[in-house]
Amino acid sequence: MSDLELHLRSEVARILQDGSVDLVVGFEAESIPLKPQPTFIEDSKDADRLIINGFCQNNLATFLTRLPKEKRIGIVVRGCESRSINALIVENQHARDKLYLIGVPCHGIIDWRKVEALAGENIISAEENENIVNVHTIRSQFSIDRGDLLHDSCARCLHPNPVSPDIMLGELLPEGDPVLARSVVDEFQLLSSEKRYAFFTQEAERCIRCYACREACPMCYCTECFVDHANPRWTESTISPAGTQAWHIVRAFHQAGRCVSCGACERACPMDIKMTYLTDKLNDDLRRLYGFQVGMDTSTQPPFAAFSLDDKKRFIS
Amino acid sequence: MAQPSARGDNMTDRKPRIVLFQCQWCLYTEIDQHWVDHDLPSNIQLIKVPCTGRINPLFILNAVQGGADGIMICGCVPEKCHFKEGNFSARRQLDEFANFLVFTGFDIKRIRFTWIDLQEQGRIQRELSSMENDLFVLGPSVALATRHPLEGEQS
Repeated sequence: MSDLELHLRSEVARILQDGSVDLVVGFEAESIPLKPQPTFIEDSKDADRLIINGFCQNNLATFLTRLPKEKRIGIVVRGCESRSINALIVENQHARDKLYLIGVPCHGIIDWRKVEALAGENIISAEENENIVNVHTIRSQFSIDRGDLLHDSCARCLHPNPVSPDIMLGELLPEGDPVLARSVVDEFQLLSSEKRYAFFTQEAERCIRCYACREACPMCYCTECFVDHANPRWTESTISPAGTQAWHIVRAFHQAGRCVSCGACERACPMDIKMTYLTDKLNDDLRRLYGFQVGMDTSTQPPFAAFSLDDKKRFIS
Repeated sequence: MAQPSARGDNMTDRKPRIVLFQCQWCLYTEIDQHWVDHDLPSNIQLIKVPCTGRINPLFILNAVQGGADGIMICGCVPEKCHFKEGNFSARRQLDEFANFLVFTGFDIKRIRFTWIDLQEQGRIQRELSSMENDLFVLGPSVALATRHPLEGEQS
């Protein structure tokens, strides 16, 4: 058990005991290797269940919109989670004073797909040790550098530190590299439109419409999603090319100015479909055009919810 | 990609289909509005909206997936909006949606914005015919996949 986990447990036990929160959302040990699961702790005695490590792949802010608004919630946040929460506060999904954010440093989430691909057989357990990941499989064991296993979104993460947490456990990390963060979008934009469309269709048309990406996303909280809407039916609900393309386009576009690039959608996808390049493109545009970054504070409205008279110069045809 | 595009393989036997989203306040002259309301060529589908701010990006996507070769969005210039600020919010969103469609491989020439001012009588006709010429040169669109079957398909 790391120092960070000890700190985390004592802090959670403390806030539950003194009654400043009703509930703490965090991670507990996994029942299957590589996949720690979210947990909800209401009793300070259960605080020992909490863990935090690089395998925790969910974005915990997802649960914020599913819990009653009057609850006082303590939540373990990494950089992306704190930004998601800020974006949700901007959209009035929870009051900031009903939240207690326990910030933890994040060195990037380890992509379980990459570990499984390297192992090639059933994994019994895996643990982090500083910058090395030790993996035990049925027949052997091996160690890999942590940097090679990072999820793509985490490898190019811009803000790994929690934004304005109530308490910060552990050390702050250096900020990410903006050029690296843009690299995927920049490279994709250099391709010809035929190649871009070919890549987009190849990814989108593998979709089985399970909507795991929607469920994993903290910003996808619409009571009725446009794909579930029956009258009028906006898109085909089947796995036809038109249906899957429409889903991927509109899902991403609805995230414009709201997505925090946590990559939870991609990690949740059972078909291993690449989709963060779409939301990254939108984020990149909004950063360039309006100087907007999602979730950096709790008051700035996203660009599509506002307008400025300077806009007329930009779009005049 | 496996399914044939419902837009057809060539454009020799038909004119390009254009969907025109028109803000009902943007055509200031009676003649233009009358022409749009009554005399549009059959290959142009008019969708009249109370303001460009009413245009949901889904409308545009639906038009493209419904078999349109090109989309034209026609509205008022800044500060001339009937609702004061409808076109400002529309511009941000629709402009970004167009960028985004282009990012996924849609041709940038297939979506066109026309912001019409008070003096510009006859501009809508010119814009539509120039867009039709552009679409003729481009031929039928590959991106994006169309819905099947197309409703009310017309040549």
